[in-house]
Amino acid sequence: MKISLNWINDFIDLSGIPVDEIVHKLTMSGLEVEDVIDERKIYKDFVVGFVKEKKKHPNADKLSVCTVWDGKHELQVICGAPNVEVNQKIVFASIGTIIAQGQFKLSKAKIRGVESFGMICSEAELELSDNHEGIMVLNDELKPGEKITSALGLNDVILEVAITPNRPDALSHIGVARDLAAIFNIPLTVPAIKIEETAGKISDIASVEIIDVENCPRYSAMVVQEVEIKDSPEWLSSRLKKIGLRPINNVVDVTNYIMYETGQPLHAFDLVNLEGNKIIVRSTDEESKFVTLDSKERVLPKNSLLICDAVRPVAIAGIMGGENSEVTSTTKDILIESAYFYHSSIRRTSKSLGLTTESSYRFERGTDPSNTLYAAQKAAQLIAELSSGKIAEGFIDVYPNPIKQNEIKLRYSRITKLLGYEIPQEKISEILFSLGCEIKHSGQNEVLLLIPTFRPDIEREVDLIEEIARIYGYDSIPTIETISVPLDIKHDESYFVDNIKNIASGLGFYEMINNPLQSESVASITGNKIKILNPQSQDMAYLRTSLIPGALQTIARNISVGEKDLYLFEVGNVFNKHVTDEIESFDDFSENQNLLFIITGRAAKKSWLTEETQSDFYILKGIIHSFLIKISLDNVLIDSYYNDGKSLFDYYFVKSYNKRVVGTGGKVNKNVLKFFDINQDVFCFEFNLDELKQIPIDEKRYKELLKYPKVFRDFAFIFDREAKHNEVIEFIKREGSKLLKSVRLFDLFESETIGTNKKSMAFALEYYDVNRTLTEEEVDKEFTKLITAVTKSFNAKLRG
Amino acid sequence: MLEDKINRIYSEFEKDIDGVNDLKKLEEIRIKYLSRSGLVNGLFSELKSVPKENIPFVGKQLNSLRQNVTDRFNSIKSEIESQKTSTDKDFDLTLPGSEIRLGSKHVLTQTLDQIKSIFKGLGFSVFEGPELESDYNNFEALNFPADHPARDMQDTFFINPKFLLRTHTSPVQIRVMQAYQPPVRAIMPGRVYRNEAVSSRSYCMFHQVEGLFVDTDVTFAELKGTLVAFAHQFYGEELKYRFRPSFFPFTEPSAEMDITCFLCKGKGCKLCKQSGWLEILGCGMVDPNVFQHVGYDSEKYTGYAFGMGIERIGLLKYGIDDIRIYFENDLRFLKQF
Repeated sequence: MKISLNWINDFIDLSGIPVDEIVHKLTMSGLEVEDVIDERKIYKDFVVGFVKEKKKHPNADKLSVCTVWDGKHELQVICGAPNVEVNQKIVFASIGTIIAQGQFKLSKAKIRGVESFGMICSEAELELSDNHEGIMVLNDELKPGEKITSALGLNDVILEVAITPNRPDALSHIGVARDLAAIFNIPLTVPAIKIEETAGKISDIASVEIIDVENCPRYSAMVVQEVEIKDSPEWLSSRLKKIGLRPINNVVDVTNYIMYETGQPLHAFDLVNLEGNKIIVRSTDEESKFVTLDSKERVLPKNSLLICDAVRPVAIAGIMGGENSEVTSTTKDILIESAYFYHSSIRRTSKSLGLTTESSYRFERGTDPSNTLYAAQKAAQLIAELSSGKIAEGFIDVYPNPIKQNEIKLRYSRITKLLGYEIPQEKISEILFSLGCEIKHSGQNEVLLLIPTFRPDIEREVDLIEEIARIYGYDSIPTIETISVPLDIKHDESYFVDNIKNIASGLGFYEMINNPLQSESVASITGNKIKILNPQSQDMAYLRTSLIPGALQTIARNISVGEKDLYLFEVGNVFNKHVTDEIESFDDFSENQNLLFIITGRAAKKSWLTEETQSDFYILKGIIHSFLIKISLDNVLIDSYYNDGKSLFDYYFVKSYNKRVVGTGGKVNKNVLKFFDINQDVFCFEFNLDELKQIPIDEKRYKELLKYPKVFRDFAFIFDREAKHNEVIEFIKREGSKLLKSVRLFDLFESETIGTNKKSMAFALEYYDVNRTLTEEEVDKEFTKLITAVTKSFNAKLRG
Repeated sequence: MLEDKINRIYSEFEKDIDGVNDLKKLEEIRIKYLSRSGLVNGLFSELKSVPKENIPFVGKQLNSLRQNVTDRFNSIKSEIESQKTSTDKDFDLTLPGSEIRLGSKHVLTQTLDQIKSIFKGLGFSVFEGPELESDYNNFEALNFPADHPARDMQDTFFINPKFLLRTHTSPVQIRVMQAYQPPVRAIMPGRVYRNEAVSSRSYCMFHQVEGLFVDTDVTFAELKGTLVAFAHQFYGEELKYRFRPSFFPFTEPSAEMDITCFLCKGKGCKLCKQSGWLEILGCGMVDPNVFQHVGYDSEKYTGYAFGMGIERIGLLKYGIDDIRIYFENDLRFLKQF
């Protein structure tokens, strides 16, 4: 919210306090100043100029060559504005002036062959408005050479203050002034109301009835008659412009002005259009339609609070007035509404309409129920002044159940317990008093306070402690240098994944983090997706069911920028729905943490030492095996293989434990790749870490190192082509004696020399005994037996 | 005297072997001294002529001679041999070594690891929780009443009115406090979602670390001390800091911590929007309403909580100017960290 320091000065005296200090102290008390516009700095070099002469530019139709008197010199200036004329008073910027808040420095220019020694400014160039149409023409009485900071009153400081949702009281100049008064310990003066009642009795002119008292606890109103609708005077429109508002007319401008001054939203009705001269406040009992003053038809949900006249709605309470009763240029008599609406009701309607206004913004945060009449009277006074209107005698104030001030007990010991240091009691009283709290009862150890109704956020003792701390300054709370740490058992739920990420990156994989929100088509590739009720866009309307589709998108993106060799991993959560209906409980869906390894392109580039290798199924398998070795799970998982082209893969393998699948992976299906515009092979494997985590890992025990030599033997057989490697290996392990400790395939080939539909597999075998040295003879005996067994069982032929 | 001979032969050997640098000459020396019929063995045959009582002494000297000659011979030999292998002057040592495929953790993971390790050192546990959360855990229990504007601070992706994608890691605080009695001292890293338009400064998801400490005498002063210790360790000892009042529904009092801008050192620049300060985290004392929701006695226990965004740290620390690049996973980006 924009705050004008000149305006603030109506209520407190900040003279002598540097702007930097005001900004710093406000920020450090919780009203964060995000930007400072100091007009005195921005406009310091601009002066009033006088256009003495105007000639056509010799080389350009739309340009004029002017002679400008700046109070000291006559200068030649090129001007492109159509409205520049001789004898005008204008805003002049000489060479060296900083334009547009430091964006650029004006220098001597040559425009189409004619020199220009300065600039005649438009409102847009001065950032006073968006008006680029022409130059700004000033009041004729101004003196050339005078600085515009004084001539135009551009001597304000505007602060952009971020107001947190708990501070509705600070959404006004008086509210910010109150904090400043507390910060600098100076008095706050709220101007008194001076009303001249010159019209008839208000009770004869209008009446108000509240039907929904719960959502409208108070409704105050004033009537001003015989108003003349016209433009606001310069001081008023200038104040509004400085805080970013567009002046409209004297009545609407005053209602806005009072809102920005007091925080109380107001609305002015054209009394002529209030049927029966009556206001009725009620909530709708069914959905209905209403045209607001911006000429839009709105569909109001059930239970919306409405302001009605005797026969029809005339405003959506606290949000926006109706077109049917708005103030127009012909309005004569007005009714000023100043009400207190319950925050929840306004928020529900505003949310449902998707319509937030300055008014609804304040009501849904909580306005001050005690301030409605003051604001209405203040507005009536000002409108009467500016429109030569007459104020009706008296006021309307329907307030059946006055809202009581909160009472809170504050224990001094509690302040110390929470903040960790003591604040002097006098200081505490001083701060709370300047924030508007009244001391009802003061004891030695505690104080009973009455909380002002403009602070709905102060409900409990702890809220008061925050008030004291923020005004006294968080800086003054000590920063302790020693802490004590409880010696309870520490948990680390991320340890397992941290370890996995270290291993995966050590295996030569880069970690990716993909967006779990996906389009419908991407999220539909596998699993049972969950839809987002209110997505940002259709590209991000579903939760991922697997890490694979997102990774394929990443691969496609990388390939498109020329990165074709990719070894990537991701750890992330995937979501699957278990019910067809709406999710009602945590049992209706699963959220699993998965791990994906994905590879594509070359496994190794060609170099002077090595040949190029392409990534393939067996490289993937090897990586998964290495990974499992590193997490000590290499011997406990069961593999099964599928070549059915079902699912996401052309062919794939599954790792399981106790019949529960812990991971699946293989060669990604061509059609799936096509969907992502990938035309190179991709292999991947996805683990469910929640399953993997549960597999018990045997505690490591040291095994004595082997003291006796190993004996090695090799053999190669010609098998039928359909013979499976793992069957042969299993057979050899089973048939070999206890002395055979390891079998490894070291060669595989097919060729015509060994026959069609045949293949050769060669195995390396390792024999040893932990307790003694084996003799060559006993190994040979075992080995020969094994050869015979393999030959027989697999219809294999030993190769010579 | 045999002893004199021993000395004489050793000096002669020294003279012969000195300066020898080819294997052929060395072989001649071996034959002269160390072969079966060489000079050293020759001396052993003369041992017979030594008086009996002197044999142990002279024998020892002979053995030591043989040892010395052998050692010296071997050392010269290996010296010559090693010279020989490196005499191939065309052997190109400048050829590139073979390449090993490298990998790395995502820069966000690396940043998070650093933060975790600092807080683990300060005695914090690490807890995690689900991303698809209940409205109760994400809002209600954290003192965001329904129909309250505080909810606007965190634009939310809903699955339905009861379930949503968590907007902060704070629901893990609720889960931890429901499961354990104080003292609770933990950090809670994780992914969170915000329903905001994607731009260079905001994304629909990001990562947070939150911290929580609840015990009988936890104070704001301790919160300040702990976070300052963290900031000094993570951002450097030189930095200045400030705590500024702010608002979060689940803490009271609440604060934001700023540190001096790394780029301009506090003078004011584009990164810090001319303020000289960078906001790095939000924090505060746990609101009594939160304790009430998890069944802690708010008279007996006090606690602090804090939270920071990981992406933002990278934007500040590494000068990353577009948050989206974290999630594009362009290999050229991933390889930089």
